[in-house]
Amino acid sequence: MAAPVEGSDAHARAIAAARAGDLAAFETVMRQYERMVLLTAMRLLGNIEDAKDASQEVFLRLYRNLDKVEASSNFSGWLYRVTVNVCRDMGRKRTASVPMEEAPDLASGADDPQQAATGAERQRVLRMSLRLLSEKERAVVVLRDLEGLSTEEVARALGSSEATVRSQISKARVKMRNFVERYFRRRV
Amino acid sequence: MNCHDMEERISLYAGGDLRPEEAAGVERHVAECAGCQLLLSGLWESLRLLREAHCEPVDEAHFAAVRARVMSRIERGRSPWWRQVWVYAAAVAVVALLVVAVRPVRKSAPVPLPRVATSVGGAAAPVRGRPPGRPALPPRNSAGKVRPARRRSAPPAQKAEEPAQPLVVKLLTNDPDVVIYWITDTKGE
Repeated sequence: MAAPVEGSDAHARAIAAARAGDLAAFETVMRQYERMVLLTAMRLLGNIEDAKDASQEVFLRLYRNLDKVEASSNFSGWLYRVTVNVCRDMGRKRTASVPMEEAPDLASGADDPQQAATGAERQRVLRMSLRLLSEKERAVVVLRDLEGLSTEEVARALGSSEATVRSQISKARVKMRNFVERYFRRRV
Repeated sequence: MNCHDMEERISLYAGGDLRPEEAAGVERHVAECAGCQLLLSGLWESLRLLREAHCEPVDEAHFAAVRARVMSRIERGRSPWWRQVWVYAAAVAVVALLVVAVRPVRKSAPVPLPRVATSVGGAAAPVRGRPPGRPALPPRNSAGKVRPARRRSAPPAQKAEEPAQPLVVKLLTNDPDVVIYWITDTKGE
């Protein structure tokens, strides 16, 4: 999923107003990026409650760093980087105590039960296949394949080289493909 | 280049991560290799499925909850320091009042203090090493005069070895049937 379009006048005005202390403007900015941040955190952490905690921390950091972020041309890149860092810190704290749990379904309830069941199954496959990956592979897959960033943007967000990103993502894709095949073969 | 070596390139090709000249090489190999065709179709299928799962609608309540928590934290941080101090002071006062109000009140009936008798003999008095009774009299000679005490030749070390006599205190209460004896050793234990 592509990040919200940046660089528009409305976007710049909202950030300027938020920086000046306008809370409504900050809430507008938050609404613009909340899906991106929450879903990224959800895929990285594996459950919605931790993802909500991570999102809260990301937006509080955004509020505290509005001065620096305004100067940055890549607003969503900054948010992705902070999201990954916050999730990494939370994941390290959590692995000492709580294993990655079977998270409740994130999707809203669909009217069609068949569709809801299919959606729930897809969510389950996604969650389980992400769990197979290492922390770095998971971050690369989430940003590149699920959020749709370019290899260069992923490398910048993760602070690594493009070659590293390419190596990690090729291995991760094969692992996920093998899991998906095994999962549905067993189900059939 | 064999199929094992091609795996990484095919994986990158599936996600659109190869330059055109590299992609052309992969396409040539896949066109001739049934195993790699299977790998590529599996990669495409899994990527499609996972992207669809990622793009499914999310319950709005999750976003609203995050927003509410963030705004609440920001507003709490923005209130002036003197208001925050008053809030904390009020909270402390309320807790203190609750502690005082909830604390159990101990109402105990006044107990009459025991009367300590100081008489010697039948009455209570501190007596060292003897039960209450007639005090020992100094030895007398046949004329009834008091003999001076003979100096003992025993070394003082022997005296020290004698066991310490316990201190007995008899306490009389208002109830004539109740008498309390308090027996301690010389160290007061």
